[in-house]
Amino acid sequence: MSARATPAGVVPVPFDPELAPVLEFMAASPQPPLSWESLPATRPGLATMFPGPVEAIAGRAVDTEERIIPGPAGAPDIEVTIFRPRGHTAADAALPALVNIHGGGMILGHRHWESERVIQLVLELGVIAVNVEYRLAPEHPFPAGVEDCYAGVLWTAEHAAEIGADPERIVVMGGSAGGGFSAAVALLARDRGGPALAGQLLLCPMLDNTNTTVASHQYDGIGTWMRDANLLAWRCVLGEELALSTAASPYAAPSRATDLSGLPPAFIEAGAAEMFRDEDVDYATRIWATGGNAELHIWAGGFHGFDMYAPESELARAALDARHSWLRRILQLEGVR
Amino acid sequence: MSARPVPYDPELVDGLAGFLELVERIPLRADTILANREHFATIIPPMEAQVGELAVDWENRVIPGPAGAPDVEVTIVRPRRAPGAAPAEAAPGVLGIHGGGLVLGTRFFGTGELIDLALRHGVVGVAVEYRLAPEHPGTAAAEDCYAALEWFAAHAAELGVDPERIIVSGASAGGGLSAAVALMARDRGGPALAGQLLNCPMLDDRNETVSSRQYDGLGAWDRNNNDTAWNAVLGELRHSDAVSPYAAPARATDLGGLPPAYIEVGAAEVFRDEDVDYALRIWAAGGQAELHVWAGAYHGFSGFSPDAVVSQAALAARDSWIRRTLGL
Repeated sequence: MSARATPAGVVPVPFDPELAPVLEFMAASPQPPLSWESLPATRPGLATMFPGPVEAIAGRAVDTEERIIPGPAGAPDIEVTIFRPRGHTAADAALPALVNIHGGGMILGHRHWESERVIQLVLELGVIAVNVEYRLAPEHPFPAGVEDCYAGVLWTAEHAAEIGADPERIVVMGGSAGGGFSAAVALLARDRGGPALAGQLLLCPMLDNTNTTVASHQYDGIGTWMRDANLLAWRCVLGEELALSTAASPYAAPSRATDLSGLPPAFIEAGAAEMFRDEDVDYATRIWATGGNAELHIWAGGFHGFDMYAPESELARAALDARHSWLRRILQLEGVR
Repeated sequence: MSARPVPYDPELVDGLAGFLELVERIPLRADTILANREHFATIIPPMEAQVGELAVDWENRVIPGPAGAPDVEVTIVRPRRAPGAAPAEAAPGVLGIHGGGLVLGTRFFGTGELIDLALRHGVVGVAVEYRLAPEHPGTAAAEDCYAALEWFAAHAAELGVDPERIIVSGASAGGGLSAAVALMARDRGGPALAGQLLNCPMLDDRNETVSSRQYDGLGAWDRNNNDTAWNAVLGELRHSDAVSPYAAPARATDLGGLPPAYIEVGAAEVFRDEDVDYALRIWAAGGQAELHVWAGAYHGFSGFSPDAVVSQAALAARDSWIRRTLGL
């Protein structure tokens, strides 16, 4: 965590007063800086750093199951964790399915880190969730990660009946890198004639590899996911030559897509005080310009991932309410609050 | 050239039809402004009917207008206090500015929100009557609204209001005027606003965005209505560099140093892109803003389709910001 000030003339949007103490708390125990060289050594502990699915459920009315599914052609198999309302079977009425893709800049993280987010959605909305693992960069640069995520969505659609899911109501979702991957999976599904997705839920999505927006300069040295980490992440995913290039693939950096028409309805959420703000607003604006369906929420003073770091804050509660409202509308969930 | 529009939320389609039938029965053109005003007068309930048995008090007052201009009428709305009860703690205040494209409507088009805020949050509201275009073009409306803000802040103690917790709020033209009042307060060293609540605000006279072309002959407050209104406000100045940011806040070149903004708009309306742009420029200046663009929503959806799931979510998000901003 560098203490460097933002470039001259660039004033960041301030953090919400209720959130600011969380940042101070985090700054009190700084993490070692990320580097290309140090990333692979972090891998062995990723899966056990957070509780496994059963511990995460902690007795709540959710069943869970581990599955190994086929990876992309020529690539290893993929681990997924399925969550469903307790007792739901394939013989019951099919439920909507959420395919969750975890965050971590495409270079960090594990699906178990987001079990809580997924379990809460299963409990709140009565849906099935498939939490998918994918290969990380730099060991596995583009397109490894996004192809794994796409394989997870494809499997969910093809095995919907088997897992008790309604193939017409599959939403791909994720935060940060998971939001970027979700947008990319939606582009892939459109371009390959893949599964017809009911929606894409993009939470503070990482979309633009060029790092040229105002917001990307406002959170240089401050906040939760800072400019340096983002620059490193894109180098790991795309390599030195394409890292910041407009020639990068849209399936790596969805902002590079020149055509955003014909996509499933999008929900795009970010904080006003984070570096992805402007690229996320731009993505929504370009979807609307094609006549596409998108909802956009930029929460005042929210830093990157505020809902995960400060779940009890008024801001996070309001953000979750808006998210659930959209899922209700998209998935036609009657009577679910 | 018109562009393919963002489709409507199916749950809003009936409400939109109702809006068009009730509010936009007569297409708004230069020669139908007066007929539309007469029609508006028939659909805005009088204050007695709006309040009914609800526990709010209200009174009309006449306050000084801008320098050299006529006095301004306001209506004060506050929670009902039992006779002889001790004075309550200083309340938050909301200056409410009604919509109607700067050419239509009265302050009683916006009092519903103030009644609701008085009941739920104990807010003291002031609804301001401002002069309409084309009879009073340019910044006349904004100056009237600003005069009301100055009066409100100066009389905060008398009204039982905490002068540190006054926000300005409005929908459509009222949102644009709220943004203008915030600019004026900054530029003139006027009252320190705690926030500006801009609900589907009308900000940009140029009418050049993608969304302004997507809703051309379609939807609530379409491109042609918007053209009529801006022509009435700005006449030959329209589209020129001489347009004041107090008439069209999108013309402001500096959006730094403003009070926290709440900007809300439908994804399926003319004002979508100009409202998103206003938020982007506030953030670029390091200012605070919250932005919500609701999927498939028409202009004014939350008022005319209040029971739709998307409207309920919009009302909840707005209320969250009000609580955060006013410390409720």
